[in-house]
Amino acid sequence: MAWHDCAVVAYAETKIVEKSDRDVFELGAEILESLLDRSGVEKAEIDGLVLSSSMTGAGNPFWSQATADQLALELDFCQTVDIGGCSPAGALARACMAIDAGLATTVLCLFADTQASANNRRVTQDLTQFVGYLGPPAAFGLLSRRYEHQFGLDYTALGKLAVAQRGHAVLNELACEKLRRPITVDDYLGSRMIADPIRLLDSVMVCDGGSGLLVMGRRNAEKRGFTRCVVPIGYAERTNHRASENIVDVTETGHLAAGRRAFAQAGLTPAQIASFHPYDDFIIAIMMQLEMLGFCKQGQGCDFVKAHDFTHTGDLPLNTGGGQISAGQCGLAGGGTNLVEAVRQLFGEGGPRQVKDTRNALVTGIGGIPYGRNWTSSAVMILTPDA
Amino acid sequence: MTALNDTLDVPREAPKPRTFAGPFWEATREKKVLLQYDRRDGSYQFPPRPTGMRSGRRDLEWREVSGKGKIFTFTVARRAREPFRGHEPFLIAMVTLDEGVNVMANIVNCPLDDMAIGVRVKPFWAPLPDGTHLLMFEPDR
Repeated sequence: MAWHDCAVVAYAETKIVEKSDRDVFELGAEILESLLDRSGVEKAEIDGLVLSSSMTGAGNPFWSQATADQLALELDFCQTVDIGGCSPAGALARACMAIDAGLATTVLCLFADTQASANNRRVTQDLTQFVGYLGPPAAFGLLSRRYEHQFGLDYTALGKLAVAQRGHAVLNELACEKLRRPITVDDYLGSRMIADPIRLLDSVMVCDGGSGLLVMGRRNAEKRGFTRCVVPIGYAERTNHRASENIVDVTETGHLAAGRRAFAQAGLTPAQIASFHPYDDFIIAIMMQLEMLGFCKQGQGCDFVKAHDFTHTGDLPLNTGGGQISAGQCGLAGGGTNLVEAVRQLFGEGGPRQVKDTRNALVTGIGGIPYGRNWTSSAVMILTPDA
Repeated sequence: MTALNDTLDVPREAPKPRTFAGPFWEATREKKVLLQYDRRDGSYQFPPRPTGMRSGRRDLEWREVSGKGKIFTFTVARRAREPFRGHEPFLIAMVTLDEGVNVMANIVNCPLDDMAIGVRVKPFWAPLPDGTHLLMFEPDR
């Protein structure tokens, strides 16, 4: 790649004022409108968003997602660059990188802040605070009820997934000790309701912990003599699936779009996946991902679950370290638990829970709970070992 | 049968609307439902946004609507944070207004046995400390 393979085709600025009487998202809307008008590009063509960091949004770990939601942008790539005053130039550089990697074709770089007007600093969900909404459990309660209405929901199938993951946590010494006790489907069904029909054993428990990876160029790794490594062969993400629609089918998620692209890049089909490490904040999210990624049709997830064995010796090993639900959710770092377990398995270092087939592993992400939809961002990555 | 709380005794604060959501909240003083209408796209949108959802342009106006609709989905909140703690269980629903937008709200005057996806509802206004009202819904029997 050369930097000059990418081009800036329009620019925009707002009036700078001492104190803004407009919300930071309103400034973003003005910039967006101005860029569309000047360039003739359609809003729907924008598939990437890179933001500078913002004092207004600094307290919001979902800054780029919140901005995408407010501007109703449906994206295949988004991020906030948090290197302070270097962020705008850094954002342009990262936009070029995303285009070069094929993650996006048309990227909005947006730099907006309202630091001077203190009353704009609030970034809470001001529309949901009035209804007693307990965040994710309530969101998944609403989602589950709608799924049940459209397709029916077999809670024993969901329980089967909970039991398989718990069995893996028992075999994982790094899992949260409180969760390393086997459970049965009856335990799952009998656990107390949090937000009907979401039960306690559907849900993650917030814990503390961390994980990480070290990455270098593949040629460099070979030169350095690394005989075992893991290589991504497909990756795609989707933020704000069907963003411009007021009412969406909440049983359809961004994994539908991201999964198609990631599988196409990898040259694989779902039937060829050796182990599955989906982001698991709630049990039903695992089943919905099976549907969206093409393991089965939409609405047939429960039947698929009943027909397959998700233990580490089964035909589709699932979150073999217990997943976040049974190992514990390390806050917003929780997705690292699914990802690192996949890498561990491909290194062949799964110990008592090692899977037999290490030809590949499928990892996913889920991020953000928007107003009245399912989730904001969906990511899909396929990994292979490169011995 | 589960006895549901109508949450009307929950001490709610006055709203602090974003700058582009002001008219929605002002209209609740007179118990009116205002929605943003995108003149370019010819469609309503909710929640309030700083731009048109399809057009990406700010050619928006506010239009009064009936506020009537039907249940899209619902949950029974059995655990809640302050100030709702101790008021569980209560209903949270997404309501599809007749203009084709979804609104999240508490449902009142509705036993759990009467609650179902598709049930018709109409606005119920809960007073807030600053004279505005919170849009809730009750069955439109």
